[in-house]
Amino acid sequence: MNPKVGFHPSLARCARSIVLCCAIALVPACREPPGVPGANDWRGTLLTEPLDKVAFTLMDTNGQPWDFGRETDGRLTFLFFGFTNCPDVCPVHMANLGAALGRLPFATRNEVRVVFVTTDPARDSPAVIRAWLDRFDRDFIGLHGDSAEVARIQNALRMATAVRGPAAADGSYTVGHAAQVLAFTADNRAHVVYPFGTRQEDWLHDIPRLLAAGW
Amino acid sequence: MQWWCSAVGVPWSWTWRPYPGVWLFVLALVLAWVWLVQRSQTTRPARRWPFFAAGVLLLWIALDWPVGALGAGYLASLHMVQFILIGMAAPPLLLLGLPFDAAPSPTPGVVRRMGRLLTHPLITLVLFNVIVIATHMPRLTDRLMPSQAGSFLIDVLWLGAGLLYWWPLLSPERRSWFRAPVQIAYLFASMVFMTAPGAMITFSDLPLYATYELAPPIAGVSALEDQRLAGIFMRLGASIVVILAISIVFLRWNRREVRDMEVEQREAAAKSGPPR
Repeated sequence: MNPKVGFHPSLARCARSIVLCCAIALVPACREPPGVPGANDWRGTLLTEPLDKVAFTLMDTNGQPWDFGRETDGRLTFLFFGFTNCPDVCPVHMANLGAALGRLPFATRNEVRVVFVTTDPARDSPAVIRAWLDRFDRDFIGLHGDSAEVARIQNALRMATAVRGPAAADGSYTVGHAAQVLAFTADNRAHVVYPFGTRQEDWLHDIPRLLAAGW
Repeated sequence: MQWWCSAVGVPWSWTWRPYPGVWLFVLALVLAWVWLVQRSQTTRPARRWPFFAAGVLLLWIALDWPVGALGAGYLASLHMVQFILIGMAAPPLLLLGLPFDAAPSPTPGVVRRMGRLLTHPLITLVLFNVIVIATHMPRLTDRLMPSQAGSFLIDVLWLGAGLLYWWPLLSPERRSWFRAPVQIAYLFASMVFMTAPGAMITFSDLPLYATYELAPPIAGVSALEDQRLAGIFMRLGASIVVILAISIVFLRWNRREVRDMEVEQREAAAKSGPPR
């Protein structure tokens, strides 16, 4: 007589529990095709309708024309519009992005470009932009162009155009501008944007995902 | 106008700003002290006023502009300076300056027993450290600091925790077993407990507090450098206060022992009769 091979009741329960747990753990993985994280996987805001890259050429901090489309083609690119006299949003965004990139492996960092376009061309000369960006990361690209061209680019990207505020008694003024950083992925489209309030840990969370997203 | 310093998210300006809530708070402390002094039967309060004045001054510096405003919403390092002043340095000075004999005696019964329990060194040690750790949790700090009421709550918790912590050491209500060696162990334990939040803040690779990471920047200090400075201030500031207190307890203990020894020697000499 062949004895029937079975499981000890406790072990059987344990095995059933393990199988159930594995099944539950696998469910979320089945929801999305691999490589395309869902809306909840991003610290930034996932756009329902991705933005196409806009073609423009502005002057870089070396005084050379810089073709945005060509220079950033197929590369993860963060685009931000701001001004160097900004007391809060711009330096915080740039500092956090720079600090986060500084913590990533060199190979990962090398795949990322950060482009800053000034919304205050009157005060932000190429030299001023370079000195300001160097405080955060020497590899950041600074671009300078006339206000009308910058406004055209912002409009094309469905962003609010920058508005110069009234001058104070000492002649200083502020510039109202959109506070989000656009993240263009390898498909040359922005699927995720990063509003003010994005922290270093958020960048560190999202940058490797943006590189691996398969967009 | 704000009544208490909080994280407001606007660029820092060196233009003075009034915080009437802080003035009222400081005034209330002074009036309470005057009331106690008037009730006091001894002449000691007059000699104690410098301690109380120093405690109130430290509180005022920590809570009012500019330290209060910078610590509430711009620099984690100054937030920590505030903690050291409010929770560690001011409470012992305030207690040293109090005319305890004039304090209303607690009602007998439950309240008295509760008070006795609350000021038990083990309870005060635990409460102090729980409050210190909880109020340095990034989630709680980030939730409370943007509102004036939240920022006020943190400051009051620090002061309350500090008063409780120093109470067993400085109040006249002494427990027989809470002698110098136990007092030293009590002080030392708090220093050990504070190592955890201090190390977390100092050695974190990322800014822990959104309040300070996203605050309008000041003086070219990065959020992480500022946070590391905060961690160093916590360790250093708390250690200085505690080591000073341990030194005082030790020196007093030593003085008492020497005095007792001299008395014993005198008694022994008296027993053995006059020298030949």
